[in-house]
Amino acid sequence: MAQIEIRDLGIDYRKPKSNEVFSAVDSVDLSVEKGEFVTIVGSSGCGKSTLLMAVAGLVDLTRGSIEIDGKRVDGPGPDRAVVFQEASLLPWRSVRGNVKFGLEMQRWSGGDLNERAMQMIRLVGLGRFSDYHPHQLSGGMRQRVNIARALAVDPEVLLMDEPFGALDAQTREIMGTELLRIWERAKKTALFVTHDIDEAIFLADKIVVMGRNPGHIKEVIKVDLPRPRNESILDSDAFHELRKRLRAHLAEDMSSMQLVQEVA
Amino acid sequence: MRSAEITAEPAEARQLSLSFLRPSRSAMIGTLAVLAFLVLWQIAPTMGWVNGRFTSRPTEVLLAAIDIFQNDDFLYHARISLTEFVAGFALAIVVSVPLGVLLGTSKIARHLIDPPLMALYIAPTLVLLPIMVIWLGIDMAPKIAVVFLGAVFPIVLNTMAGMSEADPKFLRMARSFGATKFDIFTRVLVPGSLPALLTGLRLAVGRAVLGVIVGELFVSQAGIGYQLNLYGSAMRIDRLLVYALIVSAFGYTLTVIVRSVENKVRDWRSK
Amino acid sequence: MIAEFFYRRQALVLGTLSMIGIVVFWQIAVDTGFINPFFISTPSQVAAEFKVQFEDGSVATNVAATLYCFVWSLGLAALVGTILGMLAGWFADVESALEPFIWFKYSAPTVAFYPLFVAGLGYGTPTIIAIAFLFALTPIYANTLSGIKNTDRDLARAARSFGARPLDIFLRVALPGSVPVMMAGLRLGVGRALTGVVVAELFGANAGLGYAITYYGQLMQTTKMMVSIVIVIALGVLLTQILSFLETRTDSWRVDSGR
Repeated sequence: MAQIEIRDLGIDYRKPKSNEVFSAVDSVDLSVEKGEFVTIVGSSGCGKSTLLMAVAGLVDLTRGSIEIDGKRVDGPGPDRAVVFQEASLLPWRSVRGNVKFGLEMQRWSGGDLNERAMQMIRLVGLGRFSDYHPHQLSGGMRQRVNIARALAVDPEVLLMDEPFGALDAQTREIMGTELLRIWERAKKTALFVTHDIDEAIFLADKIVVMGRNPGHIKEVIKVDLPRPRNESILDSDAFHELRKRLRAHLAEDMSSMQLVQEVA
Repeated sequence: MRSAEITAEPAEARQLSLSFLRPSRSAMIGTLAVLAFLVLWQIAPTMGWVNGRFTSRPTEVLLAAIDIFQNDDFLYHARISLTEFVAGFALAIVVSVPLGVLLGTSKIARHLIDPPLMALYIAPTLVLLPIMVIWLGIDMAPKIAVVFLGAVFPIVLNTMAGMSEADPKFLRMARSFGATKFDIFTRVLVPGSLPALLTGLRLAVGRAVLGVIVGELFVSQAGIGYQLNLYGSAMRIDRLLVYALIVSAFGYTLTVIVRSVENKVRDWRSK
Repeated sequence: MIAEFFYRRQALVLGTLSMIGIVVFWQIAVDTGFINPFFISTPSQVAAEFKVQFEDGSVATNVAATLYCFVWSLGLAALVGTILGMLAGWFADVESALEPFIWFKYSAPTVAFYPLFVAGLGYGTPTIIAIAFLFALTPIYANTLSGIKNTDRDLARAARSFGARPLDIFLRVALPGSVPVMMAGLRLGVGRALTGVVVAELFGANAGLGYAITYYGQLMQTTKMMVSIVIVIALGVLLTQILSFLETRTDSWRVDSGR
């Protein structure tokens, strides 16, 4: 059995002002194997972040179910950790303090907190900066801390919500390579939301393409590029092929959106 | 593998600054302006531009200051005013911080208490001074009460704002790690609202100092305000100014201290 | 329907309830003998006394006297504070020269100089206006200064690229961009001017709300005193609300620096 099993998932929101019910995600079925790196890609408003937050247990389900290792998700749990888009680092804590935060919340009992935190900080390559505060770090460094904080609690599944979305293109590419290096060492199942096509292909074993109104899965694409990967695969034919396929999907979404705008 | 980014220096590396050895242009202009003011003040009465009886002179003020520190029971009056200030301020902190925390974490309590609180924050609480005198007599108690009333509202309102405006992304992050309500309170809300609390304290200092002085000017038998009143009615402007300057220096020093702590704490916040 | 109204207007409903609650509690606390009415009077007595003072014209006289000083002091503070703030915001050297005085003014309780003003200007209206003027000056100056000084760089650069001269930038970019911050300063100034007027009136005046409070305070007539206290608080809330309203009207002028 797969590690993450999502069956017939539906999530409705009630708009705060008008009381109108709005369906963010509908009829989503997805299974993710242990150790797999799955990216979820789609244009804005396709419910990809909502889906991820549902797996994190931060959003209530309206229909269907999510199971992890056969256990139903009904709230956050130590088997999952989230890397958020904004680094969401506590500004009054040092790098080490931030990495320790998750451990403190989960009443970590696997040895010394400082030791564990330092280990993770070194893993993401910030060993020298453990006493710095977030405002002293660059955007890329903050996201490394963010990743270290999530890895520290030793989750089964790592959930990432456009973690590099706020970074510039150059840093983003570096962070992608870094993430793969860390992931290959940590051996976690990873669910990674992005709207960047190259990023989605570069990282993934499997790409989930989502469409909108309401958010649903359009296609699941296997990625058979060899690992370990580096930037050179960006120029391979297989990569180009996948990029073309994903572009077609997203273009379709864009044109349907324009149509809606013209009608309205 | 590219990892140039890690070796990059942190965005705001702190350096030891020796810039105070070379005064900045603005500091020089400020000093010059003050000197010019002092010179003008000194010569204006001699030149007959103003009546020296009303304005005194810097040199006279300086002499009066020396005289006051030597033999005017200065410490006695200062101690009384300081006691009123400290008692009222301490009382205000004891009441306002828990109240601010309660209001910041409970929306119903906030909606319930916010209107009267705002009204008293906006309104000049010093108008309650005469009624405090009726309630509490003319000793230290009514001044302590006025100091308390002046200081309590800015602290409550700022603590409340700091608590209730906690960044939702921090709350979500904490929840994702399974934080309990208590965890969120102690590790996110409390440290997160510290800068706001300090802002409240800083605003309260000014109001509290004002409270002491107005209270003592209004009715008292001792204290800095009493001395101000005494020398004011006796037209001893030099001595009046010395006491006024002492109050200013006190308020200024305290404000600067709180502000520097506040800035230090605010430094942590990401931009 | 009622539940929905309550939910949407929770702040308003609960706020009104708590205000009514305070008045009721005040009345009951005295009626049941829990508090001696000598100390605090009761809402019903205050209301009755308000009617008396309203009909004999003393409410109008006192409010008029206080508002007269208030308007003068706020007007002067707005004029002087805005001009100084604009100069200091535009010319860094002016700011440097003014800074020590502003800091002194900020930390010195203006009232400490009350006897000095009396010596120079005599008892009554001029002294009251001077004190209240100094109370209100600081926030108006400080906000104007920061508004002008923090003129959005991108907008200024864009204006310069179209050939705008410094005066154009000041008049068409810096000044309009500062209006919301200046309005906020004025709102703070309103509260402080009122405090200044009333506090100065506590010490010496022939009319005004502060005067009435002291006068009846010395006679230990709590009810009569309460009338003026309540009016002062109401006036403070009303004036600040008006300014807050004006402030929100200028909110759309705010330059969003894209954060």
